[in-house]
Amino acid sequence: MKASIGIVANPVSARDIRRLITNASSLQVADRANIVMRLLASMAAVGVKNVVMMPDNGGVRGHVQRGLTREKNAGETVFPDLEFLEMPVYSSVEDTLNAVRKMVDLGVSAIVVLGGDGTHRAVASKCMKIPIAGLSTGTNNAFPDYREPTITGLATGLYVTSQLSHEDACASNKMLNVSINNGEQKEIALVDVAITTDRYVGARALWRTDTFRELYVTYGEPHGTGMSSIAGLIDPVSRRDPHGLLVEIGSEDECARTLTAPIAPGLMSCVGIKNIEKIMPGKSYTPRTKAGSVALDGEREIEFSEADHIEITLQSDAFYTIDVEHAMATAARKQLLVSN
Amino acid sequence: MGSASPFPLNKEELLKVYRTMRSIREFEERVHLEFAKGGIPGFVHLYAGEEANAAGIMYHLTSDDRIASTHRGHGHCIAKGVDIHGMMAEIYGKGTGVCAGKGGSMHIADLDTGMMGANGILGAGAPLVCGAALAAKFKGDKGVAISFVGDGASNQGTMLESLNLATVWNLPAIFVVENNGYAESTSAEWAVSCDSYVDRAAGFGMPGVSVDGFDFFAVYEAAGEAVKRARNGGGPSLMECRTGRFFGHFEGDAQTYRADNEVDQLRTENDCIKIISKKVTDAGVIEQGELDAIDKEVLALIDDAVEKAVAAPPPAPAELHTDVYVSY
Repeated sequence: MKASIGIVANPVSARDIRRLITNASSLQVADRANIVMRLLASMAAVGVKNVVMMPDNGGVRGHVQRGLTREKNAGETVFPDLEFLEMPVYSSVEDTLNAVRKMVDLGVSAIVVLGGDGTHRAVASKCMKIPIAGLSTGTNNAFPDYREPTITGLATGLYVTSQLSHEDACASNKMLNVSINNGEQKEIALVDVAITTDRYVGARALWRTDTFRELYVTYGEPHGTGMSSIAGLIDPVSRRDPHGLLVEIGSEDECARTLTAPIAPGLMSCVGIKNIEKIMPGKSYTPRTKAGSVALDGEREIEFSEADHIEITLQSDAFYTIDVEHAMATAARKQLLVSN
Repeated sequence: MGSASPFPLNKEELLKVYRTMRSIREFEERVHLEFAKGGIPGFVHLYAGEEANAAGIMYHLTSDDRIASTHRGHGHCIAKGVDIHGMMAEIYGKGTGVCAGKGGSMHIADLDTGMMGANGILGAGAPLVCGAALAAKFKGDKGVAISFVGDGASNQGTMLESLNLATVWNLPAIFVVENNGYAESTSAEWAVSCDSYVDRAAGFGMPGVSVDGFDFFAVYEAAGEAVKRARNGGGPSLMECRTGRFFGHFEGDAQTYRADNEVDQLRTENDCIKIISKKVTDAGVIEQGELDAIDKEVLALIDDAVEKAVAAPPPAPAELHTDVYVSY
């Protein structure tokens, strides 16, 4: 039977330098597997029969397989059939990209993602119009939900079994497209693109403010963490607003206004605000910083020089997510889990 | 360059880093050749490919800070400042070696530079570092102590007990796991139960971080934060450096457990020296000619070290029992 849900569980999110700097949490591999087990249990409860999952060599696959074997030995039958995709494992972001390509080919109706902003970005870059149900297991989680996986599994299961419609369960999202040298390299960001003057990606995470120069966000929520919280605390933009925001950042000395924001979990930093500007869908923006690095969703990813040309464009209706809160409210209203 | 450098180090500092990494590489490539000629006694385990780790971590240390190394210790020694002539002579087992030729490759020690010793006993450095860190804590001198292990030795009981002790005593200790993917010939994927060294650190109540060990700046940044934390009384931490070795576990290892093109791919795509060279020259901070000049100087240094080591006398028979025991 065709799998209706794909699961991508990143075994290595939440491992970066922020554990040293800000006491950021690190979710153990065994707990990532437990999340998958809870997802599977609630998916099965609403009729999901087949699920496929990205294989990994970081331990999640092993723990999940052990867990399913134990449940089977114990006589439990509450889980869907789970298959791991047949694909080479490189233990890099390539695994996520390859897995999502395969899930698209298999025709899954939704993809559940365990990871941080970076993992979700990788999935969104390849999932086409298939909705993502995001669960936060990373460090800087401006994008995915902090939510009990059982509920995410329920909402996703109700959608893929057509008990909830696309309108009932899904939400449309913005993204930022980053083009380097007229499309020679293309990247995306789901929440923010930060431009720094660092000519190295180093430990990747952003935590020093002295090299920040520009911040482009799809949305910035006052209750968010990470770079987008800068926008969220000075001029909030919601996930559903049509526009995004550009914030130009300077040192405290050169700016009339400063802002204290949680730029990483456990890290409040002060930045100078030079300028704020709405960014509109479809319009290209070129950073004023001529050389440095581009951070996507909080992690430095691309080093660029004066010879490189960078364009940043906000895209509307770029991809879909499962809106768990809305989906479950609809499920309750329609009495989908009630038996007479 | 000062603050104008788009890197966390200025030009002079970057050249120093490059010299360290190049010295390690040249040293190891040369030992590889000389060992094949049969002139070097015992075993050697080469560090080539992993230079960014030693250079990125040791840059934050002074000679008052202590490190405990592994059987693959040449890179740690060089980055910690041990004399290259003395090291080469030691590997040749000559009386001019840093341990008077009685230690060899796996027991190079130089307390003046804070190098407590390479160590043939896997995982044995971790408890030594707890002792050094405890001493630094009692003395209040802001010293730190760093233990290196590979992915294999990270499973040793000594390592795990040390993680516990370091946390309980809040020691200024850092445990570096240089994960080159193989415990001798056993893949880490088969041999590490909890699957993540960061999880292991969390289990002992200390922060853990995993970094790209091919990128000097990634190691440098993470190590800087770990050292700062330890110096300021913030306690121990663990760093996993994801890396790869260019040679076998030991010289003579046929490496049948590795894919055919694995090492070629490492040298082509993940050579940490090529990576840092490209970054600093692309940014216009350093000219290629300046790096070439260092290459020449390092080559001459290693040539001279080998020549002098070969020519040096072995320890005299009368010295058989000296330097062996310590009186308290």
